[in-house]
Amino acid sequence: MKNETPLTEHESLNIITSMIQNAKASYHDSGMSAILWGLAVSIASLLVYVQITLNFTFPIDPFWIVFIAIIPQIYISLKERKENKVVRFEDAAINAVWSVYGITILLLVMYANIAPAVSKEFANQEGWQLIKHYINGSKPDAEMYPFIPSLYSLYILLYTFPTMVTGIAKKFRPMIVGGIISYILFIMSCYTSFKNDMLIGAVVAIICWLIPGIILRSKYLKQRKNNV
Amino acid sequence: MFKDLDPILHSQLRLAVMSLLISVKEAEFTFIREKTKATAGNLSVQIQKLKDAGYIEVNKQFKDNYPLTTCSITKKGIDAFEKYVKALQSYLNTDKK
Repeated sequence: MKNETPLTEHESLNIITSMIQNAKASYHDSGMSAILWGLAVSIASLLVYVQITLNFTFPIDPFWIVFIAIIPQIYISLKERKENKVVRFEDAAINAVWSVYGITILLLVMYANIAPAVSKEFANQEGWQLIKHYINGSKPDAEMYPFIPSLYSLYILLYTFPTMVTGIAKKFRPMIVGGIISYILFIMSCYTSFKNDMLIGAVVAIICWLIPGIILRSKYLKQRKNNV
Repeated sequence: MFKDLDPILHSQLRLAVMSLLISVKEAEFTFIREKTKATAGNLSVQIQKLKDAGYIEVNKQFKDNYPLTTCSITKKGIDAFEKYVKALQSYLNTDKK
């Protein structure tokens, strides 16, 4: 492109529209992060489901998979940052949403692990305790540990939030559809047992992240092939 | 004649650079060069003119031992660009009448 060529108004408009289009078409999500989290959360949820169904315990908590997934995520983020020569406004906003989501999930895990024990401690200090009483008298009464009802439903609700934001901001239909289905599944999970919530959680991870991630990946690879 | 059009923006390459930057948060120099198909030398000169006018910010740093230049549009640049587009629209509307 030369510089000092005299411009007509139509040429000016053409430059503006073509460059804006160029900038819009320049960035494609590789889909790797969505695939990674879709796999990590769905596998972890399914393993917990299997654990409860078959009544055995894995040597380590299956949800460690989700924490371990942070390592490849850091690698993917650094690689993408290196490859992307442009930062779009919506990408910066979406990245912020996912970062806040990550912090919120970590704090929710913390809450789920700390709050019941602290509540039990406060109750004991006040001189009372929760008792599990079997209506048919089949077992004797026993002290009960405070618990958060349908806890995994909260995670399902939280999984849906950044998915919907990303889908709407990027006008990416698979994530919007995934998000809407996940809201319905969240309502369902309020009526199901913890075991089935795990199954629902796995489905949510697949429809919110894994499937959209695979779609993004195929688009990205197609784009790269066309650029070669 | 475009008497009222901003002379800083009313140039092929500078307008292209501003049009690219208006739609992104920031862009690397190599990205702008690739999209505008300009030579590095010419692009550097035009970017400097835009920077001197206060329309863009240029950030120079090092990444993996290589110099990395990123550009982003300023508030003044956005205002100037919007004014330019409005002026263009008025010219086009005059043409239609």
